[in-house]
Amino acid sequence: MIRAFFYLRGTTLQNQLLSRVRRLRQPKYLFGAIAGAAYFWFIFFRQTGFKGPPGRGLPPMAEGSDLFPLVFIFGAFVTYALYRVIAAWAAPAAPGLPFTEAEAAFLFPAPLSRRTLIHYKLLSSQLPILFQAALLTLISTRWTFLGGNAGIHALGWWVIFSTLNLHTTGAALTVTRLIAQGVGKLQRQVVVFGLLLLLAAAVAVILWRTAPPLTANDTAHPAALFRYLAGLTRAGPLYWLLLPGRVVVAPFLAQGWREFFLVLGPALLVLAAHYVWVLRSETPFEEGSIAQAEKRGAAVAALKAGTYRLGGGKARPGPFQLASHGGRPEIAFLWKNLLSTQSFFTLRTFAASAGVIVVVCTWLSHGSDAQRSTLSILGVCGVMMAGYALVLGPQLARQDFRGDLGHMDLFKTYPLPGWQVVLGELLAPVAILTGIVWLALLTATLSLGAFRAPVVWLTVEFRTTAALCLAVVLPLLCTLQLMVPNAATLLFPSWTQATRTRDRGLDVMGQRLIFAAGQFFVIALAVLPAAVAGVLLWFAARLLGGEVGSAVMATLGIVLVLGLEIAVGLLCLGWRFEKFDLSSESVK
Amino acid sequence: MIEVTGLTKRYGAFTAVQDLSFTVRPGEVLGLVGPNGAGKTSTLRCLAGIIPPNAGTVRIGGLDLASDPVAAKRQLAFLPDEPKLFDYLTVRQHLAFVARIYGVANHEPLAQTLLEELEIADKADQLPGELSRGMKQKLVIACGLLHGPSVIFFDEPLTGLDPLGIRRMKDSIRQRALGGAAIVLSSHLLHLLEEVCSHVLILKKGEKIAGGTLAEVSARFAQGESHVSLEEIFIRATGGTEG
Ligand SMILES: Nc1ncnc2c1ncn2[C@@H]1O[C@H](COP(=O)(O)OP(=O)(O)O)[C@@H](O)[C@H]1O
Ligand SMILES: [Mg+2]
Repeated sequence: MIRAFFYLRGTTLQNQLLSRVRRLRQPKYLFGAIAGAAYFWFIFFRQTGFKGPPGRGLPPMAEGSDLFPLVFIFGAFVTYALYRVIAAWAAPAAPGLPFTEAEAAFLFPAPLSRRTLIHYKLLSSQLPILFQAALLTLISTRWTFLGGNAGIHALGWWVIFSTLNLHTTGAALTVTRLIAQGVGKLQRQVVVFGLLLLLAAAVAVILWRTAPPLTANDTAHPAALFRYLAGLTRAGPLYWLLLPGRVVVAPFLAQGWREFFLVLGPALLVLAAHYVWVLRSETPFEEGSIAQAEKRGAAVAALKAGTYRLGGGKARPGPFQLASHGGRPEIAFLWKNLLSTQSFFTLRTFAASAGVIVVVCTWLSHGSDAQRSTLSILGVCGVMMAGYALVLGPQLARQDFRGDLGHMDLFKTYPLPGWQVVLGELLAPVAILTGIVWLALLTATLSLGAFRAPVVWLTVEFRTTAALCLAVVLPLLCTLQLMVPNAATLLFPSWTQATRTRDRGLDVMGQRLIFAAGQFFVIALAVLPAAVAGVLLWFAARLLGGEVGSAVMATLGIVLVLGLEIAVGLLCLGWRFEKFDLSSESVK
Repeated sequence: MIEVTGLTKRYGAFTAVQDLSFTVRPGEVLGLVGPNGAGKTSTLRCLAGIIPPNAGTVRIGGLDLASDPVAAKRQLAFLPDEPKLFDYLTVRQHLAFVARIYGVANHEPLAQTLLEELEIADKADQLPGELSRGMKQKLVIACGLLHGPSVIFFDEPLTGLDPLGIRRMKDSIRQRALGGAAIVLSSHLLHLLEEVCSHVLILKKGEKIAGGTLAEVSARFAQGESHVSLEEIFIRATGGTEG
């Protein structure tokens, strides 16, 4: 079995590498690889001083200002580990072991014992574990205050990930057996979450009673804070509660090789105990494995076809009634694409949210100081939300050509000019993003009422005008933003395809970077003339009249330029759509 | 009415369809036959305006598909071999969508009649994921027929159907022809040709090697023998080799 295993892994790896190298002959992958490599080098190697003369290195990262990213990374890792453990124990259906469909098809009928299959699975998971350990070592060597060195970190990460993997494997087998014995999903989840709650409560109570007060000294330096937090876990019952976790993490945290070998023993003991547990929990897992493999296969296929959806597949009435005669065909596209997303994107939800925002903000602005400061926080959230919706929204709301590549042929048989199809396909994400941006804008505008001593020029009149002007301009900006990825889909369908697969690799990562940069560049270029027109009109109008009038004039100018750009863009994309020959793009 | 002259489609340097010309009048059913890879699907996709041909003209009901695509497409329906449906639209919602696209006013009674004719009325509120392959095919047909096309293209219409489904499909094609539609279908199943086609066009490596009414083509390849099966004719015509 071992030989077959190494043959399979070896040839797979070799073929993968070969095909990756071979596809570099295509410029899109070559440029992707260059961008990806540059990014990778910039992020990891340049700052770690790997390439620089030894001993000179860059200043240690833990200089106080880096506390936030550090805590963030640490928290993210702990959350990730906890998530994997909880997900393994609370799995809704028999999880089996994660074999691929091909593995299940070839290995399950083969004359192999179940124990051999488990070993096969454990061995296969070593490759990603080694990769993860290497990657994280590159990051963690920057945390110089941790002590240790790259070698210790690499081995430490390996111990952590291997134990985590053994634990989830054991949990999957145990859960599979429990399900076979008739223990329901609800029972398990109640036990798992009940235990978690109990643990959390116990920890909170113990900390409340026994923790030494946090002094200024402790927070002066991230290392000090780390020491303080570590000190907490060394006392009393918390020590015992966290002991298994500490033992596993200890090799990673070792300051030198001597300490490393001292703490490695207990860690390996935990690892070995897990291994024995996994072997002893041997249970018929094949059925669960096959079911899960099919599910994953279907998800990957859907992702490739662009039909992957987060929402469940339930029939429901449309977001609005599609009038049964008359009406523009673009609206049909909007209706269809809104149906493809979450059911809460309706006009009614929008109106209700707006109502809630108005009521809450009005109430807060007439209240105490605490209420007012809450309102100003809400306002900042609103501004951030609008920013996110504008910048990231077009990448997330994909109910347009990006989700409909599989239906291009059908659209081409429709008796519609190209620009109408393009417009129709753009409407759904535009509508969704506009709704979100408007709600955010409403929050931000209303929160300006929180200022006690109003800024002189920030009159109610001006605020309202500015908000209304922005409300007119932002949807156009959204449309422009969305035209870029859709243009990319029409111009380079195979590129778009590439960015959507779960395919990994430096070149694919680089392609995504190039796309993001391209999007930014195009938008900057498109917004520039509109901004110039707006500013010029503003100053011209200021010579004649007041603020409100000039704001309206400026908005008119911006809307005119952006509208013109959108119209030209629609015509160009429509023309491209009519000439579009998906079959010659070899998308599959 | 379908008029095709000099149709040529190339994929890069590879010629998939070479200088094809033919006419299909209302009420006629033309069967495109040929081995796998002969260029049947490519031809149909050019005729439906899905992919642009490299040379030649296609006229649908007298309208040029290249210069007036919108008006020409209003009269045609293309039914692909693989039913491609929107995963998140129910059967009824598919019809509502198509009605809006083609500007079919008051489509509900029409849609209901079609659904009943095709025997999927009881599935009207289900998503494609819950339908069998045959049901999906029926939904595609219902969507294609909703706007009353005068020109219909079927690509491999019998793929994946059970015997009863095959019979119904044949009936349905014949019925549309009787109703005055000009129909082109592609198939490598010869019994379909015998039963529903008035004309055949045999393709090999993208070129027309024979065409005309069924009787004419049979006579040409029968070489004086009587009662030569269509299968034998097909094998003689295509030289017995694939592609
Ligand atoms: N998108 C494409 N790119 C390159 N070659 C293609 C493409 N589509 C079809 N072909 C080739 O054109 C020929 C005809 O294909 P097709 O029209 O699908 O044949 P048929 O439907 O008769 O089986 C085949 O040799 C096929 O390989
Ligand atoms: Mg074909």
